[in-house]
Amino acid sequence: MHNPNHEHLLAKWLENSLSESERQEFESLCVHDEAFAQRVESANTMTMMAEQFEEVPVPAWDRESTFITPERSRWWQWQGLPMASMAMSALAMVMVVSGFRVDVADGRLSMGFSDAPDQQEIAAMMDRKITDYQQSNQALFTQYVDALSTQQQKNSAELTQYLLSSSRQERREDFAELVKFINEQRSDDQRFYARQINNLQQEISALEAGYSSVPPLVTPNLTDDE
Amino acid sequence: MFEKRDEQLISQALKGNRRAWLALIKRYESQIYHYGIRMTGNTHDAADLMQDIFVSVYRSLGNYRGEGSFKGWLFRVAHFRCIEFYRRKRPEQGLDDTPEPECDQHCPESGYFRDRASENLMQAMQRLPLAQKAVVELKFFGQFTFDEIAEQLGLSANTVKSRLYSALSKLKLELEVENA
Repeated sequence: MHNPNHEHLLAKWLENSLSESERQEFESLCVHDEAFAQRVESANTMTMMAEQFEEVPVPAWDRESTFITPERSRWWQWQGLPMASMAMSALAMVMVVSGFRVDVADGRLSMGFSDAPDQQEIAAMMDRKITDYQQSNQALFTQYVDALSTQQQKNSAELTQYLLSSSRQERREDFAELVKFINEQRSDDQRFYARQINNLQQEISALEAGYSSVPPLVTPNLTDDE
Repeated sequence: MFEKRDEQLISQALKGNRRAWLALIKRYESQIYHYGIRMTGNTHDAADLMQDIFVSVYRSLGNYRGEGSFKGWLFRVAHFRCIEFYRRKRPEQGLDDTPEPECDQHCPESGYFRDRASENLMQAMQRLPLAQKAVVELKFFGQFTFDEIAEQLGLSANTVKSRLYSALSKLKLELEVENA
């Protein structure tokens, strides 16, 4: 049966921290308590044998194997990855449960988990789309009409220019023809009058010959060139 | 030659300095090896245990906060590794107060020490339960105080004293038999 006081005394004796009264009690126990005395003797023997314990050489062993170079963790082994995955999952669940939605505005597409839009929203969307369509068509038509008008004006101007230039040419040619005709007419008239004059001269000459024996006067010969 | 303090070597080893770690091993390997011999009674097991202890120490070196001596922390790790070693080697054996089995397949190695007294002491220690053997080892060979031993083993100081008291009784008998 162990006595806690005996254990305490033995422990303090081993650590050389007995007080005077404890020392007296300890020495008394060593004298009167054989079991305690044997333990003290064992402790003494152990202390002595521990000091004299034979040191044996440490066998050769691979000390380097205990030095483990820390491995650089891969990106998929990042410690925050499970937490990030969990956070993303929680966020996704919150988005689904709360009917997360993102509106479409200015042609930008967005995603959401909300229900389908109601009839008024659909009608408003349709109105907006029809209005946009009409406006774009109107703009297109206006642009087309403007382009057509411009093209027509250009064509008219070109036609007028052509007509003006062509009539001018024709008039010039007509006048030339007229001048030429007049000149030819004058030439014909001159020839006609020359022939008439010749005939008249010949008749006069003949008449003169009939009335007298006086030879006819020599008259210059008129040619067409005169 | 001026030797670096344990804390300096630990700090350098934590930064990946191999030489600092090896210096730390050389400083304590003999104590750990002899601890292994006395705890296992076998030089081969002691060598395995020593390697196991130093691997474990290196892995948990970052957990050493400098509170208390490194030697105390080292022997605390050694004790846990020793318990693991016993669980692997002798799963049927209790770790606390069950005496070691009589010499069978785990018979302590004999003839390793030239000194007869050392041989007897080692063989006597092998018959102690692991819990008592650890206290004897740390008290007489490790030169730790009872409070330090209690902290290393995770026990109260009174329990440590009680185990030593019981162990001394058995050691007396064992040593008498060995010396007879």
